[in-house]
Amino acid sequence: MARSRESEMNGAPPHILVVDDGITMRMFYRSVLEAAGFMVEEATNGMEGYEKVLAQPFDLMIVDINMPKMDGYSMIRTIRNDPAVRMIPAVVVSTEAAAKDSARALEAGANFYLVKPVAPEDLTEVVRMIVGVAA
Amino acid sequence: MSTPLLDRFVSEARDLLQLAASGLLVLERNPADEAAINDVFRSVHTLKGSAGLFDFPAFTKLVHAGEDVLSAVRDGRLGLTSELVDTLLDTLDQTGAWIDAIASDGVLPAGADGLSKEMTAALRALLPGDFGTPEAEAPIAQTGDLVELDWLAGLPEQDRLAAFSAAVGGAGLLAIEYVPLEDCFFSGEDPFALLRQVTPLHSLSIEAGEPWPEIDNLDPYRCVLRFRALTTAPRADIEALFRYVVEQVRVAAVPPPALISVGGDRHEGPVYGDFVDDARRLIVAGDWPAFRQAIGALRQFTAPTLRVGSALRWLEVVLAAPDPVPGWLSGLVDCIADGDADLVLPAASGPAPATVSAVAPVPPPIPSSPGRTGLGTISPMAIRILESQRTLLGLPLPPGGLAARLDSVARTVANLLVAEARRATDSALWSAAVDAAMAQDGVAPVVEILDQWLTPDGMSAADAMPTPGDQTRRRAETGDHPGGEVKQASRVLKVDQAKVDALMTLIGELVVSKNSLPFLARRAEQVHGSREMSREIKDLHAVIDRLAQEMQTAIMAVRMLPVSEMFDRFPRLVRDVARKLGKRIDLSIEGADTEADKNIIEALGDPLLHIVRNAIDHGIETPDLREAAGKSPQATILLRAFQESDQVIIEVLDDGRGIDPEKIKASALKKGVIDENCAARLTDQEAVNLVFTPGFSTAAKVSDLSGRGVGMDVVVTGVEKTGGSVAITSVKGRGTTVRLSLPLSMAVTRVMVVEAGGGMLFGIPMEHIAETVRVHRGAVRRFKQAEAFVLRDAIVPLIRLEVLLGMPSSVWIGDGSEEDAVLVVRVGGNLIGLLVDHFREGMDIILKPFDGILSGIRGYSGSALLGDGRVLLVLNLKELL
Repeated sequence: MARSRESEMNGAPPHILVVDDGITMRMFYRSVLEAAGFMVEEATNGMEGYEKVLAQPFDLMIVDINMPKMDGYSMIRTIRNDPAVRMIPAVVVSTEAAAKDSARALEAGANFYLVKPVAPEDLTEVVRMIVGVAA
Repeated sequence: MSTPLLDRFVSEARDLLQLAASGLLVLERNPADEAAINDVFRSVHTLKGSAGLFDFPAFTKLVHAGEDVLSAVRDGRLGLTSELVDTLLDTLDQTGAWIDAIASDGVLPAGADGLSKEMTAALRALLPGDFGTPEAEAPIAQTGDLVELDWLAGLPEQDRLAAFSAAVGGAGLLAIEYVPLEDCFFSGEDPFALLRQVTPLHSLSIEAGEPWPEIDNLDPYRCVLRFRALTTAPRADIEALFRYVVEQVRVAAVPPPALISVGGDRHEGPVYGDFVDDARRLIVAGDWPAFRQAIGALRQFTAPTLRVGSALRWLEVVLAAPDPVPGWLSGLVDCIADGDADLVLPAASGPAPATVSAVAPVPPPIPSSPGRTGLGTISPMAIRILESQRTLLGLPLPPGGLAARLDSVARTVANLLVAEARRATDSALWSAAVDAAMAQDGVAPVVEILDQWLTPDGMSAADAMPTPGDQTRRRAETGDHPGGEVKQASRVLKVDQAKVDALMTLIGELVVSKNSLPFLARRAEQVHGSREMSREIKDLHAVIDRLAQEMQTAIMAVRMLPVSEMFDRFPRLVRDVARKLGKRIDLSIEGADTEADKNIIEALGDPLLHIVRNAIDHGIETPDLREAAGKSPQATILLRAFQESDQVIIEVLDDGRGIDPEKIKASALKKGVIDENCAARLTDQEAVNLVFTPGFSTAAKVSDLSGRGVGMDVVVTGVEKTGGSVAITSVKGRGTTVRLSLPLSMAVTRVMVVEAGGGMLFGIPMEHIAETVRVHRGAVRRFKQAEAFVLRDAIVPLIRLEVLLGMPSSVWIGDGSEEDAVLVVRVGGNLIGLLVDHFREGMDIILKPFDGILSGIRGYSGSALLGDGRVLLVLNLKELL
């Protein structure tokens, strides 16, 4: 099916960037998303995430909030200010279930908000929909 | 028990605990070290996040409490004393011990729950302030900010009017849902008294949470009540009031329009026409005093029980607001204008109280509006994602941030439509809305379309809510349970295609076995001399034949998919390609629900893509060229599917420049595809058909869109693989139509059986056969090595099948009638006569492609088993000729 995404041109699977300072979380994302057929790249903080986004095209970024060097909000805000990469959808994943946190994430420019712990099937479904892959 | 993820968690946890502990020691020496407290906090925070992936609630709870304490320290709400450092280090030690237990046993040790509870309580006791402290994580907010608000419409209108007035006056409106524990009377709680303390209390409704039992079984000491209230009290007050029952209470901010709904008896006739006209004029003019007067006058002679009366009351309170929202007023006036219309309010245009946007990112409630397009049934997650985009668009924008926001939202929604396999028109609507938003530098067009999509479909939503007499009920869906009403359980079974294919194969074998019954019947009669037995076998054969056919039809239906599967990608593609080429194209799609076999749909994707790209690239002119030719600058491409007898027809029609036969001829000449004599004889249609010739391309230069060095012959190959055919018609200057005729199914092939080479049977696919003729031997002309005969007024080359197949020349010299059986076949647009020994019957077969070492053999598309056990080889004429 047609997908408007970065990796469509070369027929590669959708490319997902996960940005989280927790190595277990990153491993979780990688195992769930790779099992669902996506390609996963990792970054351990917002700064590294931003640099990766500039270096190669991604179809979606999954971003933790509280990280060293640059937090998730700043990372998304920075990316939204850069016309070359601002269109990449962002999902914020946080441990805070409170509504004010999801409002903050959206204000920073995230497209969706998930609360940790994320069920693998929810994660796959959200990613699948945002990168445009039918079930 | 050990999994790679758990191993990773154990090692990460040890690192984090180590980091946190050493950070705490640094902090103890220098409490002002901001970097240190941030590090400690983040370590514990990360640990909490990772722990959440596993089922260790005792562990996670303790770490969570530690995180809360550290958060208070970081924010300066709690001083870091040595005692506190000790407590925190104890916590880390305990956590570390548990990690060791997890590492060795995979589970927490017995007693961890109790210990966790104890230590958690001790940590929480250190936290400053009560639940009312806004910085502290308010448990009420945690247990569930978003409660379903659809019960609002069920409240008495009076209550809603009062709450609405208070809310538009500037106070934040909160909905409270309180479901006390069943044994609450035994713990000294008095839910009713508690709620009465809520001030101001605009509405309180009490209902049974479950149906009342028979009076004999009623247990009066068991509380089964559900309380729902509306208040404009500050949230902190509510949280303080309910601090002992936080788990049983849910609070949500209510946007004022969620309260508006009209109810009552419907009126007849256009009595209110004048008022409606006046009202619309006054809303546009913003003349509120005059509008108020008009409403007052009409209320004088309107029965309060009428729906109109209700709408008038709502108009009054909406108008009483300091800054009336025209959209709400218009919605109510529309309700008066059409007694049957459902109330439709624009979302998010009102002066929502500040708390709503700050506290709850709940999209404004969306009224049901039948007649508008919803998205049909989509998953709850898709609804949540769409709602999130809607909320994002409603948030205040940083300067110059519109394009960034639109970009990411546009992509997210466009992809979601693809993922959810929505209709192509939805994708087209969406990209049009995005373009409009970009053009007018505002989000209104995209917001509007999202609101339409998020509107529950009027009919199905009403069906799903069996509340009697509640036709004007409005729903305010929250992010938590949005899909419940929209999605109706569809009874769909997902089946692996391999299973369906296996079934298909079995049925194919059944068909073949069944075909042996007539042979058996003949044997019964000829060998055993039993006519009766023969007749019974024939009767049985008829029954089994019918059943097998029905089974075949049924299983084919399983494999059918709507062509929308392949059409859906075109709106986006056409838009992108058109933009790239600076052309303006309106794509319409017809018959997207026409069904065809899954294999055909899959095989057709690329050919169709090629045709459409060709149309855009070569067919459609640029807007100025079109205008110069007196056409509308906006070109049209129509993608159309329909069923015609046992074929599915797919047509791509464009109103572009058409194909110029002269240009084609010239180009074909230049490329050596035809010679000059041939060119002179070609009709226009024959010239147009030249585009199917391999290697032919009319484009002056190869573009990166459709060129790619291949031409329409690729399309022909792809379509013929499915057993279909392609035709192209074109009127110069007016447009081109490409027509694909496809079989309904690829599973069954109809072949003509012929005999050649002395009794060998061959199948020839029916779609290649033009006609069967008998040619008198004297009418066969020889040209050097070649033979031909005259069929009506055309010369048709004649080929002996046995020669073609390299079989030893047979001794067959005809059946004495001086006539040869010639099968006239059409291959690649040319007629060819195949000389065979005999014609046999036409039959449906299940074609099995060769596999194993036979798969390399060219000239055959496969084999099929005949009823008498013989193998029929099916010829692939394209390869042979």
